[in-house]
Amino acid sequence: MTAVTGEAPATGSGVLGQPLDSREDPQLLRGEATYVADIDLPGTAHMAILGSPVAHAKILSIETKAAEQLPGVLKVATAADFTDVMPLPCIWIPGGVESHFPPHPYGLPGARPVLTGDTVRHVGDPIAVVVAETPRQATAALAAIAVEYEPLPVVTRADEALADGAPQLHEAVPGNLNAYWTCGDKDRTDAAIAEAEVTVELDLVNQRTINSPIEPRGAVGDYDAATGEYTLYASTQGPHNHRFLLSALVLGIPFNKLRVIAPTVGGSFGTKGYLYPDMALVLLLSKALGRPVKWVDTRTGLMNSTVQGRDHRQHVTLAGTRDGRITAVRCTSYANLGAYPSTIGPGVATALMGRSISGMYDIDAAFCEVYAAFTNTVSLGAQRGSGRAEAAFLMERLVDRYAGEIGMDPAAVRRKNLVPKEKFPYDNGLGWTYDSGNYQLNFDKAIELSGYADMPARKAEARTRGKRLGVGLATYVAICGVGPSTRMSQEGMLGGTWESANIRVHPTGEVTVIVGSASTGQSHGTVFAQVAADELGIDPDTVQVLEGDTQKAPYGQGTYGSRSYSMAAPAVALTARKIKSKLIRAGAVFLGVPEDKVVYEGGRVFEEGNEQNTKTFAELAMSMWYGWGLPAEIEPALDETTHFDPPDFNYPFGTHVAVVEIDELTGETEVVSYTAVDDAGHIGNPKIVLGQIEGSITHGLGQALMEAAVYDEQGLLISSDLTTYALPRAADVPFFTLDKTVTPSPHNPLGAKGAGEIATVPPAAAVVNAVVDALSDLGVQHIDMPLTPEKVWRRLRGEAQ
Amino acid sequence: MNGRPEQFSARPNELLVERLRDGLGLTGTKVGCDTGQCGTCVVRLDGRSVKSCLVLTASAAGSEVATIEGETTRGGELSGLQEALRQEHGTQCGFCTPGMVMALGELVDSTAGGEAPTEPEIREWLTGNLCRCTGYHSVVRGVQRACAAARAEAPSGASEPAAVAASTAAGQEV
Repeated sequence: MTAVTGEAPATGSGVLGQPLDSREDPQLLRGEATYVADIDLPGTAHMAILGSPVAHAKILSIETKAAEQLPGVLKVATAADFTDVMPLPCIWIPGGVESHFPPHPYGLPGARPVLTGDTVRHVGDPIAVVVAETPRQATAALAAIAVEYEPLPVVTRADEALADGAPQLHEAVPGNLNAYWTCGDKDRTDAAIAEAEVTVELDLVNQRTINSPIEPRGAVGDYDAATGEYTLYASTQGPHNHRFLLSALVLGIPFNKLRVIAPTVGGSFGTKGYLYPDMALVLLLSKALGRPVKWVDTRTGLMNSTVQGRDHRQHVTLAGTRDGRITAVRCTSYANLGAYPSTIGPGVATALMGRSISGMYDIDAAFCEVYAAFTNTVSLGAQRGSGRAEAAFLMERLVDRYAGEIGMDPAAVRRKNLVPKEKFPYDNGLGWTYDSGNYQLNFDKAIELSGYADMPARKAEARTRGKRLGVGLATYVAICGVGPSTRMSQEGMLGGTWESANIRVHPTGEVTVIVGSASTGQSHGTVFAQVAADELGIDPDTVQVLEGDTQKAPYGQGTYGSRSYSMAAPAVALTARKIKSKLIRAGAVFLGVPEDKVVYEGGRVFEEGNEQNTKTFAELAMSMWYGWGLPAEIEPALDETTHFDPPDFNYPFGTHVAVVEIDELTGETEVVSYTAVDDAGHIGNPKIVLGQIEGSITHGLGQALMEAAVYDEQGLLISSDLTTYALPRAADVPFFTLDKTVTPSPHNPLGAKGAGEIATVPPAAAVVNAVVDALSDLGVQHIDMPLTPEKVWRRLRGEAQ
Repeated sequence: MNGRPEQFSARPNELLVERLRDGLGLTGTKVGCDTGQCGTCVVRLDGRSVKSCLVLTASAAGSEVATIEGETTRGGELSGLQEALRQEHGTQCGFCTPGMVMALGELVDSTAGGEAPTEPEIREWLTGNLCRCTGYHSVVRGVQRACAAARAEAPSGASEPAAVAASTAAGQEV
C-alpha cells in the first residue's frame, strides 16, 4: 500500500503534515476513555423509552398506572406531562422554495414533539418514558404501559407518499410534500437533451441505509435546583449547537442555564449531530425527580430512532455526442424524509445531493429536482458522505451507461469531460463554485495505479477460475467546509456555520487550545496541537487541546460534513497568528529594537541580524504573564480567540477504481482490489487521514454490497439489529491501494479541504459499475444495491431486475 | 477477575457484561448491540475470548475472567498488541477497541514463537468484532506488527506453528 503522505504548508515549522501518533489512542486502547454509558453520577435514575410498535396509528388511550406500581419505578410520563415543552425544531429547510412543516412556536419549522401524544407516525415513535432505580426496572416497566391504537394506513416510499389517495402524515403538510426543490437550468437542460445525438436514462434506487456507529446514543441529564442550571452529557458531535437548540427552542430556558458536555463519542458519521427527544427528556425528568437521569439506547432502539441515510428514488438522464462529450444531465428524485423533519434532514436530501450531481465534469446544462416527502419511516438525516454519495452514484452510473451506449471506454469518456485545470474557480451551474482542482492529474494517477490497462487480460484469466472480473470507475467532488454562514443562509440553514478557537499561553510556556468543534473519533487533540505547534514553532507535546464542553469551549458548530480540519483548524491557525503578532509587538519592547527588526521564528523572537538578542517562547510567555514594562497599547497575557467564517466552501475530489470478481456459481461479489486517489488539499496528519479514508471506503462498500434498511408493508423495520442489518466485517474487504494529489483550497489559511468522509462518496458507484461491467455481456445495464449474492445470481441466470 | 478473587451473588439472568460494568465498575468492556454481533464486550474467560453479553455471570463461576482493565495498570505501559495498534492507529472512536484488544490478544499470544497468522487468518479472526470507523485495515496491520514483535521476542521453538492455524480456524468461542 502506498501511504498517504502529507505536506506541510510552507510557513510552518514542519510538524504539520507529519504522521504523528494519535495522542488519544493509548487511553482508548486501555479502555479508559469515558463514553456516555460509563458516566455514573451519584443518585442516578435510569430512563427507558416506549416506542410505538406500529408505524401509523391514532393513540386512543395510554394507561400507565400498572407500570407506576412496579418495583423501582419512580415516574412514568407521557406527552400530557410535557405540554409546555416545544417540539424539536428543524433548522435546515431547503432554500428558496415553499416548504411545509409541522409548526413550531418560534415561527420556525418544527419537527417532532418530545413525546408523541395523538398520532404515531413510525415504529419507534416515542410515546412514553419510565424512570426507575435500575435500567432493568425501567425497561421491564415499559411492558406494563397499556396503549390503545387505532391503525391508520401506512406508506414507506417517497414516490408512493406523493400519489393521490396516499395516507396523510401531517395536517400541516398537504399531500406529504415537504418541499419541491430545484437547481440548475431546466429549460436549457431539457433543450440539450431534446437535441442530443445520444441520450441514456436510468431508474435508480439509492437504498436507505443505517449509519450504525458502534456506540449507540445515550444521554445523562442533571438539573441543579440550587442554581437552576441543567447539564446534559450526550453522545453529540455538536455540543454548542445542541445547547442552543435545546435551551432556546425546546425547553424555553435561558441559553446560559444549559451546559452540554460531549464525553468520548463512539462514532457518529452524521447521526449524532441531530436533536433527539431523549436529550430533552433526561433534562426534564431530572428536574422533575431531583436526581440525575440517564438513558442509554439499545441497538434495536438506535435503528428505530436515530436518523437514517440516503433513500432516493431517481429517474436520471444524460445527453451527449456520439464521440463522448457530455452535454447535459438531469435528475428527478423522490427523497424519503421519514416521518418527521430531522434537525437538518430536508437540506441533506436536497441541496447536498442536487448541487453535486455534475461531479468532476464540465457540463453545459444540468438540472435537478427533488420531491422531498414524509413517510412512515424513521427520520432521514446525514450519513457519511450524505448527499454527495447519492449524487456521485447517479452521475457515475450514467457515465458508464453512456460509455456503453456509444461504445467508448468508460475511462476515456470520463477523461474527455473532466473540468480543465484552467477553468477554476468553476461554476458547476447547479449552485456550487468549485474552489480549485487538478482533475486530470488525479484521474490519471488513479488509472495508472490501478493497472486499468491490464484489465482485459485479468478478465480472461479470471474466467479460467470460474470468476467474472469487472472493473468500475467513479470520480467525485464533495462539497465540504460548511461553511460560509451567509451562503448557508441562502441554502435555508437557520444558523451560523462558522467555527472558533481560543488559545491560551500559560506563564510557563505551555499552551492550551480550545475549540468549539467536538471529535467523534478524529483525533482532534493530536491534529489541532499540530496546527498550533506548527504556527508557533513549538513542541506539539506542550500543547493541550480541549473541546466538547460548552462551559469551557468557545462557540462552534461541531463536527460534521468533514469540516473540522478545514474550519476549526484554520481558526486555530489564525489564533496562533494573533499570538505571534502580539509577541512580535511585545518582542520589540523586550528586545529594545523597532518592531520591523523583530523576527519570530522557531518558537522565539530575535533581533534581525543579531540572533543573540533573543527571547524564547517560554521566556516571552512569562514576560507577558507578568506584564511588566508593556506599553498601554499592548495588553498583558496571551489569550486570543478567532471566529472563522470562510469566504466559500471547499471541494475535495478524487478517483476510485474497484475491481470485483463474481463467482459464476454463487453470485457472490468479492472486491479483489480497490484503488483510491483522493485530493483533500493540505493534510494535517496523514496517519489519521489514512484511517479515515480506509474506513470511509469500507463504509461505501457496505452500501454497495450488503447494507439496506428494509421496511415491510406495515412499516416495520425488518433490519432492526445487527443480525438483520449487515455491516462490512474484516474479511469482507482487502487492503486498499491509496494515493493522493494535493490541490490546496484558497478558502482557508491551511489550504485544507474536507477529508474525513469524502472517500465514502464514490465506492458504491465504483462497485456497482464494476459488477455491471462483469455482467455486461449478459445485457445487464443496472442492478440496484445492495448487490447481494442472490440478486447477482439471478442476473447471472438471465432473470430481470 | 483480572487475577484477583471476587465473591458476589449473581441474579440467575444476570449477564457477565452487566456484572463487569454495573457491578464491578469495569466499564472498559462496552455494550454495542443486543445480539452478540458487535464484539465490543469481548473478555477472556479461562484464556479464550468470549462475548460477555452472551455469558451468564453464574456460568462463569470458578473461571478466570480477564478484561481490558487487566491488560495494563491505569495509565500504564501498553501491552505489545496495544503498542502495535497505537503505532498503526488501529483505532478511531475507540468504542470497539477494548473488545478487539481482548479478542486479538488470544490470537497474538497463540502465535508467539510460531508462524505468524496470514492476512486472511487475521481478518477471519476479526469477524466477531465490528468497527465502523477504520474499516479494519489499520487493525490488521497492527496485528501483523504485534505478531512480528511477539515472534521476535519469543524464545525460538517455544511454540508450535500448527497451533496458530488450529486456533484461527476455531475463531472466537462465542
